[in-house]
Amino acid sequence: MSARAGDAPERPPSHRLRFAVGLLVASALAVGVGYRLLDGALAQGARSAEDRRANVAIRALAEVVDRAGVTGDAVRAAVAAWAKDHPQQAAIKVVAFDGLSLEASTDPADTGDEAAPRRLRREEKDLYDRGQRLRAAVETNRAEGASRKDEVERARLADGSLSIAAPLEKDGAVVGLVQVQRRPPPPVKPPSWLTALSYVAVPVAVFLLAGLVVGERRAVLGVLAVVLLAGTVWGYGAQSAAKLERGRRAVEEGIAGIVRDEGAKASAILASLSLPAEPPLDPARWDADAFRRPYGVVRSDGSVDEAKVAASAARDRTAVRNALLLVGGVSLAVLLFVGLGGASAFVRTVRTNRVAYTYVLPAMAGMVVLVFFPFLYGIAISFTDSTIYNTNAPLTDIWVGFKNYVSILSDFHVATRDADGTLVFNYLNFYWTLWVTVAWTVTNVTIGVTVGLFLALVLNTKGLALKPVYRVLLILPWAMPNYITALIWKGMFHQQFGVVNQVIQIFGGSPVSWFETPFTSFLTALATNGWLSFPFMMVVSLGALQSIPSDLYEAARVDGASRWQQFTGITLPSLKPALVPAIILSVVWTFNMFNIIYLVTQGEPGGSTEILITQAYKFAFEKYRYGYAAAYSTVIFGILVVYGTFQNRVTRATEGI
Amino acid sequence: MKLTPRLSLAAVAALAASLAAPALAQKEIVVWHAYRAEEKAALEKVVAAYNQANAAKGIKVTTLAVPYDAFADKITAAVPRGKGPDVFIYAQDRLGGWIEAGNTVEPIDFFLDKATKDRFIPTTMEAMTYRGTVWGLPLDYKVITMIYNKKLVPVPPKTSKELVAVARKLTDKKAGRFGLAYSYSDYYYHAALQNGFGGRVFDPGPKPVLNAPENVKAMELLMRWLDTDGILPAEPSTALITSLFNDGRAAIVFSGPWFLGEIAKGIDYALAPLPTLDEAGGKPMRPWMTVEGVFVTAQSKNKDAAYDFAKVLTDTPAARVMALEGRQTPANKAVYDDPAVAKDPILSAFRKQVEVAIPMPNLPEMTMVWSPATTAMNTIVKKSATPKAALDAAEKAVLRDVAGLRKR
Amino acid sequence: MRSRAGEDEFPHLPLHLVLVLATLVAVYPVLWVFTIALSGQQSLAIADLPSDPTVWDRLRAIVPWPKTVTLSNFTSVVTDQPFAQWMLNSAIVAILTTIVGVFLACTAAYAFARFRFPGRQAGMMSFLVSQMFPGTLMLIPLYIILVKWLNLGSSRIGLILVYATTAIPFCVWMLKGYFDTIPKELEEAAVIDGATPSTIFWRIVLPLAKPAVAVTALFSFMTGWNEFIIAATVMDKETMYTAPVGLRFFVGGFSQQWGYFAAGAIIVSIPVVALFLFLQKYLVSGLTAGSVKG
Repeated sequence: MSARAGDAPERPPSHRLRFAVGLLVASALAVGVGYRLLDGALAQGARSAEDRRANVAIRALAEVVDRAGVTGDAVRAAVAAWAKDHPQQAAIKVVAFDGLSLEASTDPADTGDEAAPRRLRREEKDLYDRGQRLRAAVETNRAEGASRKDEVERARLADGSLSIAAPLEKDGAVVGLVQVQRRPPPPVKPPSWLTALSYVAVPVAVFLLAGLVVGERRAVLGVLAVVLLAGTVWGYGAQSAAKLERGRRAVEEGIAGIVRDEGAKASAILASLSLPAEPPLDPARWDADAFRRPYGVVRSDGSVDEAKVAASAARDRTAVRNALLLVGGVSLAVLLFVGLGGASAFVRTVRTNRVAYTYVLPAMAGMVVLVFFPFLYGIAISFTDSTIYNTNAPLTDIWVGFKNYVSILSDFHVATRDADGTLVFNYLNFYWTLWVTVAWTVTNVTIGVTVGLFLALVLNTKGLALKPVYRVLLILPWAMPNYITALIWKGMFHQQFGVVNQVIQIFGGSPVSWFETPFTSFLTALATNGWLSFPFMMVVSLGALQSIPSDLYEAARVDGASRWQQFTGITLPSLKPALVPAIILSVVWTFNMFNIIYLVTQGEPGGSTEILITQAYKFAFEKYRYGYAAAYSTVIFGILVVYGTFQNRVTRATEGI
Repeated sequence: MKLTPRLSLAAVAALAASLAAPALAQKEIVVWHAYRAEEKAALEKVVAAYNQANAAKGIKVTTLAVPYDAFADKITAAVPRGKGPDVFIYAQDRLGGWIEAGNTVEPIDFFLDKATKDRFIPTTMEAMTYRGTVWGLPLDYKVITMIYNKKLVPVPPKTSKELVAVARKLTDKKAGRFGLAYSYSDYYYHAALQNGFGGRVFDPGPKPVLNAPENVKAMELLMRWLDTDGILPAEPSTALITSLFNDGRAAIVFSGPWFLGEIAKGIDYALAPLPTLDEAGGKPMRPWMTVEGVFVTAQSKNKDAAYDFAKVLTDTPAARVMALEGRQTPANKAVYDDPAVAKDPILSAFRKQVEVAIPMPNLPEMTMVWSPATTAMNTIVKKSATPKAALDAAEKAVLRDVAGLRKR
Repeated sequence: MRSRAGEDEFPHLPLHLVLVLATLVAVYPVLWVFTIALSGQQSLAIADLPSDPTVWDRLRAIVPWPKTVTLSNFTSVVTDQPFAQWMLNSAIVAILTTIVGVFLACTAAYAFARFRFPGRQAGMMSFLVSQMFPGTLMLIPLYIILVKWLNLGSSRIGLILVYATTAIPFCVWMLKGYFDTIPKELEEAAVIDGATPSTIFWRIVLPLAKPAVAVTALFSFMTGWNEFIIAATVMDKETMYTAPVGLRFFVGGFSQQWGYFAAGAIIVSIPVVALFLFLQKYLVSGLTAGSVKG
């Protein structure tokens, strides 16, 4: 608290130095990230080019093997002929499911005793499983009328080579697979780091030189640094984009050549082995994605569809521009932060308040690692179309932006009018559930706080006998695992055998079918949760009541204040610091109170007593839509953050007194 | 220095260890299951015998019991990250989901020879099959059957007409006595009736068909039992059914093997097949069966050995232990020829019932069915909607969810 | 001074009435748990009524009382499984959670209450915010962090860390609120006497905050004591399971052995009640009143 006293007198800061360091860090960051992105994009481009070449090749091979009948000597002859034509393939294997047989193989290991045809060995299970996966994929895609599972499987081996497999079909059924292992492609040349370095060094040098002229004029230095940074980002970006586009065109031309070439070779093999040449081969269809849907870039006559190439180049450019904007924005922020003195101010602050930060840090560290990390993951997932079908896909492939949020928040079909004019609520609508959740939270917390506080006040009466006994008995609802007490409560509301209806009947009422209407069903959950939550509030209030000095009351009594005046004038304000946080947190917990709804009402009737969290759970674990569920969770989170901020503003709970 | 003796001691220990285990590279096969009490004891007995027999090969099987409520989550979290077991035992209902998510269950088609395949009750094998590939070996099945209080029902009814006649006689609603009690509003239990009429949840595709005309008919029969005949209690939670039966206030119950462990000591009960349905032309009620499979995980380092254990665990000698000591109903056919098993009234009753049982779908889409189906069941039994209307609504909900999952 | 308290007090009889009523409501479902546990059966007890029940019949039906009393459920729970080991594990985990959680929360809360520093508001809010994200989807990321990255699978430390971080936000806010009510003059006087910040914290502030520490300790303990799913997911050895994990073996899936579960639930609640009995005296000792103004 008094660390200031010993500090050395501060030198006036040098703007030149700050902006120079800022520019250095920012441009190094921008170019560094840019370099990584470019490197990644080039490697990715090379990989996808290799994928497409491999795909054309294996589709050609599969076509030939299909026509050779999948099993028999014709297959081995066709594979041998094909292998001679294709030196870039390291090993070709053909497997027929029937009898687990290896029909043909050019693998050097499969000679002599191991030569095809033979039964698959136990170590070759993966090969067979791969075939079965492809068969299931083809059947699934057909049955669902969708393209969901890969019909051509690619796997990269440790040495960078590609192993690719395609299904073999006979009369429309998948009966085997052909797998090709290709030789590793030549390594991709990484982008020049010298160029990258010059994009950092030149602007910094220019700035330093200019700085000699400009002197310590902060505004001019700032503008200069920003301009230089913008130049760097734009320049390196443009250069990268051009490089990518050149690569793209080269790839398309290359693929077209390969399609023509493979078509010719396949026809030659068919002719030489006198295999059926009808229907005619359509090599252009071999340039296709993993679902065997043609890309359409290569036309049937073997020429390149320029419009398609231009379109994909445009997509590349958009991606580069987005990356530029992002990188530019971040590096600009860094430049300004350092240049305008934010960094040094930051260091100073940390140093001045190191005691406070040390006290807070350990608790915060655990929080960051174990809570906020999973959070970020959840939020990231919420922008994707992640489902059980694509759990292994990279997030970028399934990115859908705000689509999930839009679909949750833009559905306003809360209620419709029936034919006879009655209002029918759509219980699964977000806004209905939100309304139930809010009602659920408000009622629960109100009950918990009033009952808890009231009992605490009573228990705080001086000289009251048996207080310890009451106290212990009253916390039992909290102490007992709620998995069973919730079930007991549910049982108490049974229409015929529940004690609640027995009591109603003792007083002459008629039994209520509690789970039949939304309101009564809601009441059962409310009763259960109210019962479960008041002991916590009672304990918190008991603790908080001890902070009130008893002489305050005495003074009030001397002044003739009534009991109620004492309560509102002394008790409540003194309880506020401890009680407000407990209430805020209770609201948060109740809002997300999954167990009770799940155990007591199960959302009945018709999902009308679901709350947001149980809905999110259903989307994740019943409907397997993880992205949608994450978006749901994030919306819940957003609502609570807004509430928390608002409540904090009103009660000033983060402030001292 | 002071460190030296300790260091050398450690070195000696390390040396000794390396000498002790030269030939035997210990292969540990970890098995997760959700059993407790006698089922667990029986499994552990089989494992101990297996370990003894395979000690020479250096294979050791260890087991871990995981509570059922955490089991699926634990598998989903651990296995794809390479932290899970080599083998796990679980019902088929989550199978499709795990297969679609990938990296969890290993297909065993390749290992599976005809002799092994043929030793199981065919329908249990069906439950282990997803999209034409076999993913596990069936260990046991669980199926609901008719459990009746012998004091109240001397001769079990064979047809639905007999059932209603017996039940009506024994029902005194106001006194809380019921001729028949089962969790009829639970879709799983209701399925026996629905399948008896030839109803189903999915057509090939899979395309949900919750509102198939047969399903509606089954629902109408249920409503007759509930309403016209008045032989069933209201709000029939499983907990309530157990209580009623234990108090001697439910004469006949439809439930599965798990129920037997909850029956109070004083109750004299027996098992009989579910009745045939006169309303469906004398066809039998066909309950869903859940089949617990032994699955090899995709991340196991010893898949061969793991499969070998699975094979032994589902073989007849092990099945005998699991049946007689674990009180399981094995999927293995041959074990029912064993005299001790054959004369066990409970095991043979379930064996008889399983003949007409249908494996519960193992498709991931099935999880989307429960919630809408439950809602439909509840609205129907509370008479808030007609069977047709409620099932139409459920069908719509399931179709929407399936479409939501499949869209790309 | 204390003698005056009596004259203006509310009459005790109505207070007792209120408390007895509240206690009945609080205890009633718990009595049903006892009834099930002691019945020796696995089913829930239900009202046993004749065809035309009289009021008397109904009254009898709503009193939780087992028809037969036997301890068999309790003995089965304790002997069938290593339940004592699991209780011990739970105790270790919950106690350490309490110690770690309360200690970290105390230091953080003290900083929030007594220092003014940039990021203070944001820091407090972030503790609050950490409670807001729904936990449904968090199990797998948490598993990855705990087991894959930190390599804390099957370890008590992992569980303790998770539980402590779960409990800390409430503890920080509760303690901070309480610290705010402790007059600063006390500390200022100590500073003048040459006390260091840590002496002030340990010797002056913490003793005064005993009621709040008691509340947070109870809360932290409960957090660690009753948690099921993370413990079941992270622990890969039966000997490492905690009591709630062991309890869940009795129910789940089709099997619903509520008799065992009820007996186990009672056993599991005993330590909580014991802890509360121990903490009570701090909860109700109005320490501040005397020392502040005195």
